[in-house]
Amino acid sequence: MTPMLSFENINVAIAGAPVLRNVSFALQPGASAALIGRNGAGKTTTVRTIMGFTEASGTVRLGGEDLGPIPPHRRPSLGLGYAPEDRRLFSAFTVEENILLPGRVAKLSPDESKRRLDRAYSVLPELKELAKRPAGSVSGGQGKMVALGRALMLGTRLLILDEPFQGLAPVLAQRYAEALRRLRSQDKDITLLITESNPKLLETFADVTLTIERGEIESRASH
Amino acid sequence: MNTTLATLAVLDGISYAALVFLVSVGLSLIFGVLRVVNVAHGSLYAFGAYLAATLSLAVAPISPWLTYPALIVASIAIGVICGGFIERFLLRPLYGRDDVLQLLITFAAFMIMDNLQRLIWGVQPIFAAEPLKLLPNISVFGVAYTSYQVILLPLVALLTLLGLRYFLRRTLAGAVILAVTEDREASTAIGIDAKKVYFVTFVIGASFAALGGALASPTTSLVPGMGADMIVLSFAVAATAGLGQIEGTALTALMIGLTRAFIIYIQPEFEVLVPYLLMVLVLLVRPFGLFGAVQVRKI
Repeated sequence: MTPMLSFENINVAIAGAPVLRNVSFALQPGASAALIGRNGAGKTTTVRTIMGFTEASGTVRLGGEDLGPIPPHRRPSLGLGYAPEDRRLFSAFTVEENILLPGRVAKLSPDESKRRLDRAYSVLPELKELAKRPAGSVSGGQGKMVALGRALMLGTRLLILDEPFQGLAPVLAQRYAEALRRLRSQDKDITLLITESNPKLLETFADVTLTIERGEIESRASH
Repeated sequence: MNTTLATLAVLDGISYAALVFLVSVGLSLIFGVLRVVNVAHGSLYAFGAYLAATLSLAVAPISPWLTYPALIVASIAIGVICGGFIERFLLRPLYGRDDVLQLLITFAAFMIMDNLQRLIWGVQPIFAAEPLKLLPNISVFGVAYTSYQVILLPLVALLTLLGLRYFLRRTLAGAVILAVTEDREASTAIGIDAKKVYFVTFVIGASFAALGGALASPTTSLVPGMGADMIVLSFAVAATAGLGQIEGTALTALMIGLTRAFIIYIQPEFEVLVPYLLMVLVLLVRPFGLFGAVQVRKI
């Protein structure tokens, strides 16, 4: 089967210093993958490379398609959803406007937009109560939920969540984990790639664990 | 100061503020989105004025009313051609590099355009007042004034302000610009082509500068150096308002326009000094301008 995501000999250097070294791995469609590593190990650089935000050598493929020639702004429309580590919501808009914006940019039909918004609300019911709030006024934890909801609008094939549990209070972390389980139970085909520094947080959720250390994939375990 | 002089000062101030707003709002929009202080903005104003005058003089013999579309055509042509060229070939290679490079390159563009302007239009004053003469004079509290300056210019400025507000707050293109303004990478991650947004925003901002020049052209003789005067003044307005603050730019343009007009009648030797004195005073107390604040949304 063609992997949903594959890294083939990826190297990334930032200001001359190697950050990713010959990284290769593949994730099958429907995988729930955890990319585990300490701060500075290369987790964020790995996911930013998928989004096209780094100068990388090697090949990244999505469903067999080489992402190299595809400019970063065209990658989300391939079914790529990305929730960055620091949420990065647009404070000029409400929570719901933030979630809907990717669909508006991708020119989804109103019916399809509504369907995807409903999907985001069914995964994250608490967002419905926040819908009309300015995005700049939500708490850090709520912001992580909004970022996940926004990523779900276009993330129909691969959903990338960069350190979603970082800085979350235990109660919110639990709610976030529940949302991920709801998503997995509703959508068996979507591939999830979640980065995390604490291996315990994802051990019951992930079916594939990749460990990255100093820019190299040190181990891969399937559960 | 008697009532007549006060009325004249108010009308002068409103008319001048309208032109200054059009130029300043373009500068502010470009800074708000691209974080570039476009020194070449004054040249775009001057080119807009000169091209508008040239087109007006060319079409006036056919029909004087064609001079109005000529003003619009000149503004858009300068915005698209000159603005588009500056963004695509001079600024785009510099994004992400030291900000001072953008300042230097737009300063270079300003100097080149200033020379080009002399090369194309010469150094003799050009006057094309047809659009001004077509509209009747009106009387305000017994003071006769051209309706072009006291009605048309403020109306265009007001429509620009309202149109820009509507565009940014109510349309997808405006939402996309706001998103890129706030976070370029996060915007790209949801499918927005930030390069295109930068280009379009720069062209819109440049068109506003050219529109300011085009609308000013019937009211004054066009002479070399007019761009330099306007860039300094519009920068003072945009900085006093807070760079990136559109509504604030409108109020500040009005404030500076009126103050300048009254000073001309009361103490004319301070005419040039006043806008910059206001700017310095405001920036000393509020470094982010009257309407700006740290970490607030720009535009």
